[in-house]
Amino acid sequence: MSTPREFKTRNKEKRTLGPFAQSTSECQWRSLQRTKMRRRVGVAAVQKSRQAEEMFRQKKDELAALELHQLDQQLDSFKQKLEEFASKHKKDIQKDPDFRRKFQEMCANIGVDPLASSKGFWANLLGVGDFYYELSVQIIEVCLATQHINGGLMSLTELLNRIRRGKNRSDISSSDLISAIKKIGVLGSGFQLVPTGPEWYVQSVARELSVDQSEVIQAAEKNQGMVSVSLLFDEYKWPRPRCEKVLKELVADNLIWVDLAPEEATYWFPGIFQAKREIIDE
Amino acid sequence: MSGFTWPWEYSFPPFFTVQPNSTTRAKQMDSWTSLICAYCQFHKITILNLGDAEASDLFNNKTLKRKLSSDAVLEVAQYMTDNGKAQWLDGQNSILVLWRSLEEWAKLLHDFAIEAGLTNSVCTLFELVQGDDTTKEEFYGLDIRVLKVFLKCLEEQGRAELIGDDEGVKFFV
Repeated sequence: MSTPREFKTRNKEKRTLGPFAQSTSECQWRSLQRTKMRRRVGVAAVQKSRQAEEMFRQKKDELAALELHQLDQQLDSFKQKLEEFASKHKKDIQKDPDFRRKFQEMCANIGVDPLASSKGFWANLLGVGDFYYELSVQIIEVCLATQHINGGLMSLTELLNRIRRGKNRSDISSSDLISAIKKIGVLGSGFQLVPTGPEWYVQSVARELSVDQSEVIQAAEKNQGMVSVSLLFDEYKWPRPRCEKVLKELVADNLIWVDLAPEEATYWFPGIFQAKREIIDE
Repeated sequence: MSGFTWPWEYSFPPFFTVQPNSTTRAKQMDSWTSLICAYCQFHKITILNLGDAEASDLFNNKTLKRKLSSDAVLEVAQYMTDNGKAQWLDGQNSILVLWRSLEEWAKLLHDFAIEAGLTNSVCTLFELVQGDDTTKEEFYGLDIRVLKVFLKCLEEQGRAELIGDDEGVKFFV
């Protein structure tokens, strides 16, 4: 708020704007002073403004209640439609992996998770929950059974092959596995998916991979499961000690095997090596 | 060699380097044990001479240009004997590979003796492994040293007795 002195100086500046400008700002100032004075006067004004506030609040609540009611209705009809859709396509959802994936995607888009609980209406309606729970159990079994070979790192393709073979079902897709593995994630950091460009890897040992370690896996993925200090240098331009450190960690975690080849020591991921070999064999 | 299906590890280069990580090494030793047992069973080998291990394609993958060093071979042999999958022979120059357990071999011999009605009479070791009556038996062609090991096992069970200068054996029921 401007003091009279400030006002005067400002007025001087504004003189160039002509007589109208001058008188308007003078008026404004006066009215400002008046309001200031009026506000200071009387309890009535205060009460009046409070009353107004109260009315506004009432109206607001009214509107909110109305909105909520509408939303409820919308939600009900949405749920109904979704149920209709789900029961109509129940067979497709259970049988067709592609359809199942699309249904999952759609649910994810609208923020509904049909796998969140096996007791939800989804499970009752579709048995989707059970499908993924069973799959999760199988994934865990396969991963544990092969851990002694691959050190707890297995390609998604191999996992899929094994599960399809074991279950004698070809209607399971890799996106089913991904959904199921993400569900297992709820139980802790035991199961994780490591994306490495074209292929996913399932890590089934309870440890967090560092960023560097994941990058090493990615490099190995491109190279039949093998990495070495010079290869990592070529790929990421990491200084030698950094390459050695991350390789040492991976050896300590028994994820990679050392090959003391005559030229240079190389390091191998058994899981990736096998996955690549199977592709060649096929 | 034809016919034998090598396990995937055989073409896995680091398989031929003794692993520094003890957990990984244990897996590696297990894999070597099963490879050696499978290989020996396939080729009906019971005695593995460790001296010329490098000459055998078992320890030397020429396609891969990787071989298990003689120290590593000894380590594998030690692991196998520790786990009842092998026995030292001639000091530490060779091992008896037990792709069939000692007890199973002993039972095999004893069962044969009973079936053939050889109990309580003496037969020579030579006739057991080279005789005309045993050509169809699993133990036909076994090395005499190996046969003695199996018979000693039976002797400990009180079901046979080695006679003379370990040249004959008497089976009991």
